[in-house]
Parts: sequence; structure tokens; C-alpha cells
Amino acid sequence: MRRGASQRAGSGAFLVLMLGFFVLGCDSLPGRPKESAEEAAQSMDFELLYATHCAGCHGADGNLGPALDLHDPVYLALVPPNRLRAVIEDGVPGTAMTAFAKERGGSLTEPQIEALVQGMLARWSDAQSLRGMALPPYAGPLGDPRRGAEVYATACGSCHGGEGRGGKKGHDIVDSSYLALVSDQALRSVVIAGRTDLGMPDWRGTRGSPLTSQQGSDVVAWLAAHRAPVVGRPIFEKPRG
Amino acid sequence: MPMRFATAIAKWLEDRTGLGAALTPILGHTVPRRTASFWYVFGSSTLALFALQVATGVCLALVYVPSADQAYQSLVYLNHGAHLGWFLRAAHFWGSNAMVLVLVVHMLQVFLFGAYKYPRELTWICGVFLLLCTLGMAFTGQVLRWDQDAYWGLGIGASIASRAPGIGPGLVHVLLGGPIIGGRTLSRFFTVHVFLVPALLMALLGLHLWLVLRLGVNEWPMPGRLVDRETYRKRYEEEVQRDGVPFFPLAARKDMIAMAAVVLAVLVCAALFGPHGPRGFPDPTVIDTAPRPDFFFLWLFALFALLPAWTETFILLVGPVVAIGFLVALPFLSGAGEKSWLRRPGSVLAALLILLAIGTLTGLGTTSPWSPLMDGWSATPVPPIYVKGRSALELRGALVLQFKQCRNCHSLGGEGGLRGPALDGVASRLTRDQLIRQVLQGGGNMPAYGKNLSPAEVTALVAFMQTLHPVDEPVARTAAGPLLGPR
Ligand code: HEC
Ligand code: HEC
Ligand code: HEC
Repeated sequence: MRRGASQRAGSGAFLVLMLGFFVLGCDSLPGRPKESAEEAAQSMDFELLYATHCAGCHGADGNLGPALDLHDPVYLALVPPNRLRAVIEDGVPGTAMTAFAKERGGSLTEPQIEALVQGMLARWSDAQSLRGMALPPYAGPLGDPRRGAEVYATACGSCHGGEGRGGKKGHDIVDSSYLALVSDQALRSVVIAGRTDLGMPDWRGTRGSPLTSQQGSDVVAWLAAHRAPVVGRPIFEKPRG
Repeated sequence: MPMRFATAIAKWLEDRTGLGAALTPILGHTVPRRTASFWYVFGSSTLALFALQVATGVCLALVYVPSADQAYQSLVYLNHGAHLGWFLRAAHFWGSNAMVLVLVVHMLQVFLFGAYKYPRELTWICGVFLLLCTLGMAFTGQVLRWDQDAYWGLGIGASIASRAPGIGPGLVHVLLGGPIIGGRTLSRFFTVHVFLVPALLMALLGLHLWLVLRLGVNEWPMPGRLVDRETYRKRYEEEVQRDGVPFFPLAARKDMIAMAAVVLAVLVCAALFGPHGPRGFPDPTVIDTAPRPDFFFLWLFALFALLPAWTETFILLVGPVVAIGFLVALPFLSGAGEKSWLRRPGSVLAALLILLAIGTLTGLGTTSPWSPLMDGWSATPVPPIYVKGRSALELRGALVLQFKQCRNCHSLGGEGGLRGPALDGVASRLTRDQLIRQVLQGGGNMPAYGKNLSPAEVTALVAFMQTLHPVDEPVARTAAGPLLGPR
């Protein structure tokens, strides 16, 4: 039974060792979760941040994506940096632009959002090209839809068609489903900064007669007036008749 | 002096309860000599793991808050706030994995050694229900993690239940505590995981152990020695009389070594690999797409991904009934005859095939195509060719596609998840009606988005998808006539 005794002593010592190991607060074992996986890999690199969080909608290089082209010196000259920060943090409710701030359920920290804002301004803006030009304000109240109709006819109809239902160079922009998914500010952003990557001019237009801030507000009001109170589901059950 | 005092107390306790006298014959009962083998330790190892689960589970329940808005936080607190809380969670998680694994090995051993045959049929049936209870614990435990995985697992569970003809909606209601996954769902699962199933498990376990004691440990199967209902019991008695050893300490020693080994293995895994999740707060408004069930359900998950859609309902509903029915019926189908696996090639082959199939499916389940790309929605750009020349509505549709995380499962231009088919060219495969139906009703492993999309979003999404066709191939149309509805 000598062997049994020494065996028992051995396993007893082992147990005590294991217990001591855990109880005495050896709390740095490899399995201990990192504070947060993202924070561990926390990056401040603009390229990486943009590619993983924004490229999906705003395009690989900041343009030619389905959402507004951010890689646009005109847009970046018009938009106040604070507004950029606020949009990234809080998103635009009711649209695909979600809140990215951690506190709002997103995945970006305050410094990361700052890195994005500064990165866009440093890389994609070009103050030189717009020097000395009178820029329309980024934000503005909704104007008068009736005057907006006139603005539309002169400045936009040539491309988007007489009623806004589509024309030679642009498609329908008064579709009720489209208007249900876009904010007033996004309409204004497009009207003043354009979508030059897709052939939509900025506020200076194509014919050399720039829109005033008021005209911009009016045409946005005209677009917004096409919003339907209720947007129906698409019909698909049965062909009628 | 203290030694003598302790002995006195022990004596007093023994005198009043008589438990020692009752237990000694159990520990000392004789078992066939060859069963004192490492082949016979899996049952007790499972028991050890169960004890570990109870211990860690009770500790976890001290901190865990079973309410929809605090469950997640309480786990995060365990991970980062409580001293060694993460270790507790890790031990419970790895313990549950190990318990399922060792239990399956135990069943396989019992099956291959013919131990389910006469007169141990009931022991086996009891074991089948213990397996079901353990899987039930595993599933409900995964739900208590209340993260995105839990949400997904429940979503799948509910959609399976809802397919039951007639009683589907009622079943979903019972499962979720309402028509949707919410706070009541969590309370329900907490109760089931902490009170209901454990109670059932312990009762079944008691019965199981009682039966093992009463009927004796299965003797080592000898090829050619057939089980005969008339003579078996007598021969077993004779063998134990002739060549038996007391269970304690000879056989029990190996059991104890194995028990210590599995528990230690769990603790080491817990220390090295840490707890699982919680992975992401479950946000019911975003259909999240991280369908990663814990590994024991991975094979099921791969199976569903691979099954042709039309067989799915049938297999989902009939499969489990058939499988459980077969396991229960097994000791009656082959209750006598040859026990040795050397003389039962058919059984060995069947066991191997099932293992191989589950192993392969688990492998498939872990490889990437079946699991979505988590950041696909914000990281994979819409290819510019699908942006140029599109209308404002179609562009918004592309945004809905990104935002609703369709890209996590579907690729465009070769980028994105591979769980569902690539959507390039989808318009030449599906008509507008079919596209709408697919989005609203899901099906074939795709979640139904009906409740999560506004009418405008559906219209935009479908308008965008209708532009996805090769230039030279026309859009698919219904034969019935021109397309209807807005636009
Ligand atoms: C899921 C798609 C999606 C992702 C991902 C996304 N956006 Fe957006 N973004 C949109 C949409 C849609 C709008 C327009 C919202 C509206 O209607 O006002 C928008 C608007 C914006 C605007 C405001 C434009 C204006 O009108 O002034 C900024 C700035 C912006 N996004 C920056 C970002 C940045 C930076 C990221 C990465 C952190 C990002 N977005 C990620 C879809 C997205
Ligand atoms: C040179 C032609 C042209 C002119 C002039 C023009 N647009 Fe556009 N616009 C486009 C193109 C091209 C697009 C890209 C989408 C499309 O093809 O419809 C577009 C897109 C838009 C969009 C949708 C942006 C989005 O994706 O959410 C709006 C809104 C819009 N234009 C409003 C206007 C208004 C208002 C005016 C007049 C102030 C105007 N456009 C003048 C060509 C033009
Ligand atoms: C969890 C992964 C997943 C998500 C998220 C997902 N799908 Fe699917 N989708 C699938 C699978 C799997 C199929 C194949 C279904 C089948 O086999 O019938 C599919 C099929 C489809 C089809 C039919 C394709 C064809 O060629 O038959 C369309 C269209 C579709 N999905 C659109 C969408 C849209 C739009 C979204 C976002 C709103 C989306 N899917 C989100 C997994 C997903």
C-alpha cells in the first residue's frame, strides 16, 4: 500500500496546486476574454475604417456607390465637419444610414469616427478648386413647392423629364417609394452637391446658371411634396383580370 | 482530539440515518471482472460532467438576470467584471460540449457492446431520454446567452415548429411565449433550463442508475455467447459469483480516474479557450445573420443548408420522430442474440455511417460557405456596374440590400457571403412576383423579411434586383401577362 499512499499524496498536491492557481487570482489565463474583440483590433487607419464600415454603400473609393458620393470636393466643401461627425454617430433615422457610434448601438468609437471625418477631409476635399466661389449653405428650410415646380422645369426637367417621372438623362425622382426612403437633407445634398459620379450636376447646373439657396430649398420642397402619406406594398398575389 | 470528535459525529450520523450501511453494499456489489475496464467509464464520466454543470450552473444563476434587457449585460459583467466570472462561464460552456460528446461516446459503447439487449431495455430507453434532455439543456442554454446566435437558433427552432401541420402557430406560441421572440421567451427558456429539464434529468438519472444496479453491469461481450431470454439472468448470476470483483475499489478506481480526467480537460479548455460569446446584442429590428449554433447542432445546420427545399418540411418534421422512435424501439427489435460487435457487422457499419455522416456535416457546418460574412453589408461595395444608369429608386433598393444584410449571405460581383446563391443575374431566373415572395416569405434557409421591411423598402429592393441580369438576357416574366403593381 506504499504506492497507494504516495499516489494519493501526489494527486493531493496537484489538486492544491490547481486550486491555488485559480483561487489566488491567476486571472490572466489565455482564455480570459479580451475587453472587446473590436477594441483589441482597434484601428485608427482611415483606409481600413472606411473599407470595412462605409464602402458597402458609399462605394469602394467613396464614389459610384448607391449612396451619396463622399469622395466629392464639392460635397466636402459644403458640409460642415460637425454635421459629418453627427451623421456618422447618429445616422439618419428611417434610412439605410445607421448610427455608427458605440453608444448608439454601432461599432465605432469616438476617436474612430474622428479619424473617418479627418481622413475624408484630408484625402478627398480640394479647397483650391472652389476658392472664391459663393457656396450655397449646406442646410436650409423647405421652400415653396409651387416656385419649386418652376425651378424644376428650368433646371432639372431637361434630364429628369417634364413631370420628374424620368427623361433623357435621368430617371424618375418623384416615385413615392423612393421619396419614402430618402430624407429632405439627402435631397438637398444631391441638389447642391450633385452626384457627379453618376452625371447629376451640382448647384451650378449644366447651363451656367447656378441655383440660389432659395431655389434649392424650393425645388426640394417640390420633390418632398410628392411624398405619399401611405406607400402601399407592391402587389404580387394575382394578376388582375 | 478533533479526530475523535469527528468520528463521534460520523458515528452519530450513521446511527440516525443508516445511510452508510445502505450504501456499502452498493459500492461493494460485485461486477464481472472484465468490466473493470476503461471501456466502461463513459457513463460515470458523463455523470461527473453533469455534476460540474450543476455546480457551475448554480453559480452562474446567482449573477445571470433572465430579462431581455439585462441578460446580455449580466454576461458581459461575468466576462469582465466578476472575478473569474469568465472562467465560470467557460467551464459551463466547455462542460456542456464535453457532456454531449462523452454521452454520445457512452451510447456508442453501449450499442456496440450490446448492452441494450435483454434485460436492460429500459436502461437504454431511459438513456435515450437522458440524451434528449441533455440536448434540450444544450439548446436552451444557448438561448440563455441571449445574443445574436441565440436569436438565430430560436428563429430556426420556431420556423421548424411552425411547419407542424395544424398546430404550428400554437407550438410557436408555446415555445416563444408569444408570436415573436421577446422578453417572455427568455423567461420561458430560463425556467426550462434551470428548473424543468434539470428536474427531469435528475429523475431519469436516478432511474437509470437504479436500473444499472438492479440489473448489473453488462458483462464483457464474448463472440458466440448469445443472449437468451430464458437463461440469461441465471448465467449472469453464475458469472458474477464465479469471477466477480467488488465494484469498489477495483472498477471504481478507473471510473474515478476517467471522471477526474474529463473534468480536468474541461477546466483546461475553459482556461485556454475561454467562454463563448456573448456575440453581439440581439437587436430584433435587424435580422442578424450569424447563424453559428454550438457545435453539437452544427451538423443539423449543415443538413438544412444542403437539403433541397422541397424535402425540408418533411424531413424536419418526420426526421426527429423517426430517429427517436428507432432509438426507443431498438432493444425490442434486437433484444436477444449476439452481443459482441465482432459478430454484428451490420450494427458496426450503421454506427460508423452515422458517425461519418455527422462528422462530415459538422465539418461542412464549420467551413465558411454556410456561415455568413458578418460585415458584408458595410464592407462589400455594390459593384459600380450595378450603380451606373440606375434610377433613384433602384439605388435606394441597393441600399436596402446592403442595410438589411442580404450581402452577408448573397454575393454580387463575386463579393459577399456564399450562404445563398449569388444575386448577379437573379432577374433572369426569377420573375418580379417570385422576387417579392422570396423576400417577404423567405424559405429555403433564408429568413422571411416580411415583418422587417416597409412596403417602400420592398418596392425599392425588388426594383433593384430586377436590374440584375446580363445585358443579353431578358428579365424573367410570368406567362400570365404584363407585370402589375406600381412601376
Ligand atoms: C448601409 C448603407 C450605408 C453605410 C454602410 C454607410 N452609409 Fe452613409 N448614408 C447612407 C444613406 C442611405 C445615406 C442618405 C441618408 C438620407 O436619406 O439622408 C447616407 C448618408 C451619409 C452622409 C450624409 C450625406 C448628406 O446628406 O450630407 C454621410 C456624411 C455619410 N453617409 C457617411 C458615411 C460614413 C462615413 C460611413 C461609414 C462609417 C457610412 N456613411 C456608411 C447609407 C450608408
Ligand atoms: C445633366 C442631367 C441632370 C440634371 C440637369 C439634373 N439631374 Fe438629377 N440626376 C441625374 C442623374 C444622371 C442622376 C442619377 C440617377 C438617375 O439616373 O436618375 C440624378 C439623380 C438625382 C436624384 C436622386 C439622387 C439619389 O440617388 O438619391 C435626385 C433627387 C435628383 N437627381 C434631383 C435633381 C434636381 C432637383 C435637379 C434640378 C435642380 C436635377 N436633378 C438636375 C441627372 C441630372
Ligand atoms: C441567412 C442568409 C440569408 C440572408 C440574410 C438573405 N438570404 Fe436570400 N437566400 C438565402 C438562401 C440560403 C437562399 C436559397 C433559398 C433556396 O434554396 O430556395 C436565398 C435565396 C434568395 C433569392 C432567390 C435566389 C435564386 O436565385 O433563386 C433571392 C432573390 C434572395 N435570396 C434575396 C435576398 C434578399 C433581398 C435578402 C435581404 C433582404 C436576402 N436574400 C437575405 C440566404 C439568405
